[in-house]
Amino acid sequence: MIDDEISGLLGRVSLRDRAAFTELYRLTSPKLFAICLRILGDRSEAEEALQEIYVRIWQHADRFSPGQPTPMSWLAAIARNRAIDLIRARKPIANAIDEAYDLADPAADPEKSAVIRAEGRRIDACMEELENDRADAVRRAYVEGLSYQELAEIYAVPLNTMRTWLRRSLLKLRECMER
Amino acid sequence: MTASTPDKGDFRRDEVIAGEYVLGVLSADDRRKVEARLASDRHFAAMVTRWQNNLSSFDEAYDPVVPPARTFAAIERRLFETASSPTAVPVRAGLWQSLALWRGLALASLAAVAIMGASMAGLFAPPSGGRPLVAEMTGKGISVDLVARFDRDSGHLRVTPVATRQAEQKSLELWLINGDNPAVSLGVLPQTGEGEIIIAPAMRAKFSRGSVLAVSIEPLGGSPTGSATGPIIALGKARDL
Repeated sequence: MIDDEISGLLGRVSLRDRAAFTELYRLTSPKLFAICLRILGDRSEAEEALQEIYVRIWQHADRFSPGQPTPMSWLAAIARNRAIDLIRARKPIANAIDEAYDLADPAADPEKSAVIRAEGRRIDACMEELENDRADAVRRAYVEGLSYQELAEIYAVPLNTMRTWLRRSLLKLRECMER
Repeated sequence: MTASTPDKGDFRRDEVIAGEYVLGVLSADDRRKVEARLASDRHFAAMVTRWQNNLSSFDEAYDPVVPPARTFAAIERRLFETASSPTAVPVRAGLWQSLALWRGLALASLAAVAIMGASMAGLFAPPSGGRPLVAEMTGKGISVDLVARFDRDSGHLRVTPVATRQAEQKSLELWLINGDNPAVSLGVLPQTGEGEIIIAPAMRAKFSRGSVLAVSIEPLGGSPTGSATGPIIALGKARDL
């Protein structure tokens, strides 16, 4: 299985195995390059980001452990984080997490989210419970690295409305997956 | 967002912030705040990890694109040709930096063993031919400290776990690393007490000052692949005793 192979390669990379690093790059770089291209939207920036991402992977391969998600999603998260950091630095947006969050939702039970528990559902099933445009906004935020402002423009709603959409959608997804 | 442990009423907000971080909609400043909290709040870190797991199925939307060959060449230059540049950080230093960064990281299922800080004090004693080599492999705040002592003449490598609070059903496997060469397995340490491994004659010449010994957690009996598959829990450089 490809995940086992990538796990094994990451283990070898953490022990400075350059052949394993080359093989890891061969197997995984097309996906990570696609992430950079999609989020950064610029080929030379994406190439530069990909370099930084693999330098980081070489240096931090020892952080991957069986407690993490699958190795491919772990690598994808490194790539997405780097690409999003670059796009946020290039196009700064307003800070948000120190402000009040409007999370009011009479249907939700606050206690429900208090405990990390096992999940019986996949995200895809829960996404179908969201209204179409909200599910679409969640997915585009993730895949394209869009900011709230960009999403608000795309969906032609005020910024605060978009924030409320996404935040409530996140809570609904969480509640759904714990059901 | 506060740095302190939230009460129950904040959990929904924390879930949303964790989800927003993984979606990527936060500003650069907010992302740094989230990352600072990730390092100190294990429960919050678990929320972020869970969102990463949940949302990773969206990764299917990225259709692979093979990068140009020059990109990997540039990566190799950055990683492996920096030694001659006085301003560059050597690769080995990068490794130690990354190990130091392990401190404070909370990995949900391996928190007890995966947090690592390398203690490298006093590693370079003057050389003295024929004397045993010793490597102290320590990790701050983790479950195992090990002292490895290698007798060149007899080929005996003795590994003493100074403290073992290790989970059962796993084996500790010892690895030898010379420079940027691949790690070579030296064998699996006995489950308890002092471990001694006799190094095959062909391997003995590979031990020298500066060799790095590392211990990884492997399935019971050792790595199934011949390469380390689990987290590295201890690491140290050999010096003359």
